Amino acid sequence: MIASLVLLGGGAAAGVFGSLLGLGGGILIVPLLTLGFGLPLREAVAVSLVSVIVTSSASAAVYLQRHVANLRLGMTLELFSAAGALVGGLIAFLIAERVLAGLFAALITWVAVSMVRRPDPPRAPAVPPDGTAGEPEPVWPAPVAGSAATREPIAPAAAAPRYRLDAAPSGPAADASFAARISGPGYRVHGLPAGMLGSVFAGVNSALLGVGGGIVKVPVMHLLMGVPLRTATATSNLMMGITATSSAVIYLLRDEIDPFVAGPVALGVFVGASMGSRLAHRVDLQILRWLFVAVLVYTAVQMAVRALGL
Amino acid sequence: MIAAPAGRGRNDSADALETAIARLLVVGTWLAMALVLAGVLLLLASGVDPLTRRDVPAFDPARIPADLVALRPGGFLWAGIALIVILPVGRVVVAGLGFLGARDGRLALVSILVLLVVIVSVAAALGLEG
Repeated sequence: MIASLVLLGGGAAAGVFGSLLGLGGGILIVPLLTLGFGLPLREAVAVSLVSVIVTSSASAAVYLQRHVANLRLGMTLELFSAAGALVGGLIAFLIAERVLAGLFAALITWVAVSMVRRPDPPRAPAVPPDGTAGEPEPVWPAPVAGSAATREPIAPAAAAPRYRLDAAPSGPAADASFAARISGPGYRVHGLPAGMLGSVFAGVNSALLGVGGGIVKVPVMHLLMGVPLRTATATSNLMMGITATSSAVIYLLRDEIDPFVAGPVALGVFVGASMGSRLAHRVDLQILRWLFVAVLVYTAVQMAVRALGL
Repeated sequence: MIAAPAGRGRNDSADALETAIARLLVVGTWLAMALVLAGVLLLLASGVDPLTRRDVPAFDPARIPADLVALRPGGFLWAGIALIVILPVGRVVVAGLGFLGARDGRLALVSILVLLVVIVSVAAALGLEG
């Protein structure tokens, strides 16, 4: 009984931290389960993927309601991230756990460095603001169809990528128009090949390490494809669900998901993410960020030790 | 099928599609979390230690209804987790139908290809198992 509560609490802590710092839960859940509870890394990755899908679905609902995410761009890129996740999900079973631990140590180090270099996060953002590089914080799915959202509404003119849902052109102009059709107001998507490649990499990364992959997708969309950061963050979150599903079904059908662990952790992450989004304005995020960086550095060292077999 | 209501602009179609997807995700997430919560409560009541037990119930969709009726925690947890995993697939289906309704062949094709990737994942996993 105590173990279930501890897993629930651990998931909630990961959800709170992830929400406050604009990261998905996976970067925290995998080390928590492996280093904290002694689970095999592959099993921890499988549990983490379930949590990633939960937070993606919950957040994507809110971002779509508010018309912050670019559905067309997200669906185009998720074809490639899902394909990457399929490949990653398959090779995950061919790679030694020590190698996975090494890759995870590298990922955590990357996240820690980007957190040190990023500007101070403002308090209680309605959506991840400009200046963040990670995944958007998960939020409770608000009731749909005109009811109150969970947070302050975003000015529609500033936030909504307004595309037109009408018949696509055909013929020679079709290729040129596709980028325009997946663009939004005030920006035109370019560099699609770079986005596709980045999405494949993010998908492989997600499947191997149980993370959402926003740390890859958001910079690619924002820096290489000209997508505003807020839209890129929301769109990345939308893509995470199907990306994680593509590999999660492999873990599921290969009996790598333990429901007695995945259930409490996913529930905890869901509740914790909601708590985090409400605590954001009461917490000194700068102190929290440095504390988190310290945790990441410690975790990276532990993962590296595991990878090297020391 | 998501179609533009009569007398309204085409952007309303995009809004309708996004609202339909959001509604699906909201309902699906809450339902999945309710199932998982029920499973966790039953797990707590049973006193089972999830970290030390060895007889983890394997995923067997055919067994879930019987486990639900018998109030076994594994049934609720598997039902919730399965719903979590397939929810994004439902989102892609709804989006694909919306694009089809709008005669946007390219994005409808993208939706079908995304579903194909998931089907290949399932097939690959089953192949690896066999």
